[in-house]
Amino acid sequence: MFEIQREGFIDMRYCCHIVPKDVLDRFAEDTRLSDELREGMSRTSRVSDGVRTLRVQAGIFTTAVQASGAQFVQLAAAPTVTVYDCKQTQTPPGTLLVPPYGDPTAKRAFAETTKVANFYQALFGRNSIDNAGMTMMSSIHFGVKFNNALWNGAQMIYGDGDGQIFIDFTNGNDVIGHELTHGVTQNTLQLAYKGDAGGLNESLSDCFGSMFRQWEAGQDANSADWLIGSTIMGPMAIGRGFTCLRDMANPAATHCLNPQPINYSQLTPSTDPHYASGPPNLAFCVACKTKGGNSWEKIGQVWYATMTGTDATPNMTMPDFANRTRQVARKNFPADPTVFAAVDKGWKQVGL
Amino acid sequence: MALVDVERIGGFGGFGSPGSHLRSRGIVETSDLSHDDQQALEALFDNSPGGGDLPDAFKYRLTRQTAQGPQTVEIAEHHVPEAVRATVKDELV
Repeated sequence: MFEIQREGFIDMRYCCHIVPKDVLDRFAEDTRLSDELREGMSRTSRVSDGVRTLRVQAGIFTTAVQASGAQFVQLAAAPTVTVYDCKQTQTPPGTLLVPPYGDPTAKRAFAETTKVANFYQALFGRNSIDNAGMTMMSSIHFGVKFNNALWNGAQMIYGDGDGQIFIDFTNGNDVIGHELTHGVTQNTLQLAYKGDAGGLNESLSDCFGSMFRQWEAGQDANSADWLIGSTIMGPMAIGRGFTCLRDMANPAATHCLNPQPINYSQLTPSTDPHYASGPPNLAFCVACKTKGGNSWEKIGQVWYATMTGTDATPNMTMPDFANRTRQVARKNFPADPTVFAAVDKGWKQVGL
Repeated sequence: MALVDVERIGGFGGFGSPGSHLRSRGIVETSDLSHDDQQALEALFDNSPGGGDLPDAFKYRLTRQTAQGPQTVEIAEHHVPEAVRATVKDELV
């Protein structure tokens, strides 16, 4: 099923994954169901065909462009940043908010998303999520006490948290950097969200989310805390001694709400991506701290070049990614062997 | 159909991951659901659309008892009826 905005506009971008068409069609003709539900099923069936086609074609198009070496036409020199208010509904994007923003959540979402755009442009030469200036949309106040933030394939979505375990998710600039990086991954490696690829997908978002947080704070790799989600902890979580969701420097730490494995050998094909990101997160952190200085200057550049210098590889394995970063380190920093040494040390730390 | 165990998993916080302190669970008595929601829930078990692949999105793990034993499906959040989603409660364990 899908959700229709109350204004009647069907947000096709949220309709990416739907009940199989034959099931929808069967329900659309089931006279035991209400007219409203049957009409909804019928409309979903028609929309789902188009959305599925769009999504598949988008992936094919990105792959084709990569293969031809062409570049997307620049839509804009710099991305527009927009903020919408879902008003506690689960129907994105919601109502467009116009600056100046009185709502603190809206202010944060706009300010930090703009800074992430600046981060990618200034440090990596990337123009927005798709490197062609696409608009960066965020929807805030999604759901009621929603303990989550996500990238839905086209935009960011932020919940307010329940005020106990989590607070407003826009309070975490690493969260914002994390979610936007999912969009970058979608437009580059197109990593699947399962198995090794899923863990890499999550890790890239934690790596760049953490780098963004360090960059904004002016911290180098050895000054940073490498915690993910430390500023969205609610009073209940803090009172129980939890300081973060994940710790890239010590993934198995007991102060994490979500402790993770520290070695690749601990992963299985069915491992949840947020669990599987532990080893590559640790590898990146060790590499950055070994090299020293700012994480984005050398090691971050290696990770970015690996993410963008290869055609779409939805099922990339962690060993493959690790080896590619080693190759990039040698190739892109031939005069500085300490870069390769740091990358190599990071991966060996986690059994790769 | 009678009782269905509902667990919300995944999300940015990794609810339900091995070792995670984040859990989100509930139970739904299918007779408490509207006829439309009962039909929709039945369809999810009979022809699972799967868990989807949206990064950091929640999924729902639904378990019902059958004559052949427990049947569990994992479903992307937007497929699950709101009345079923509303049964879960987030907690620290």
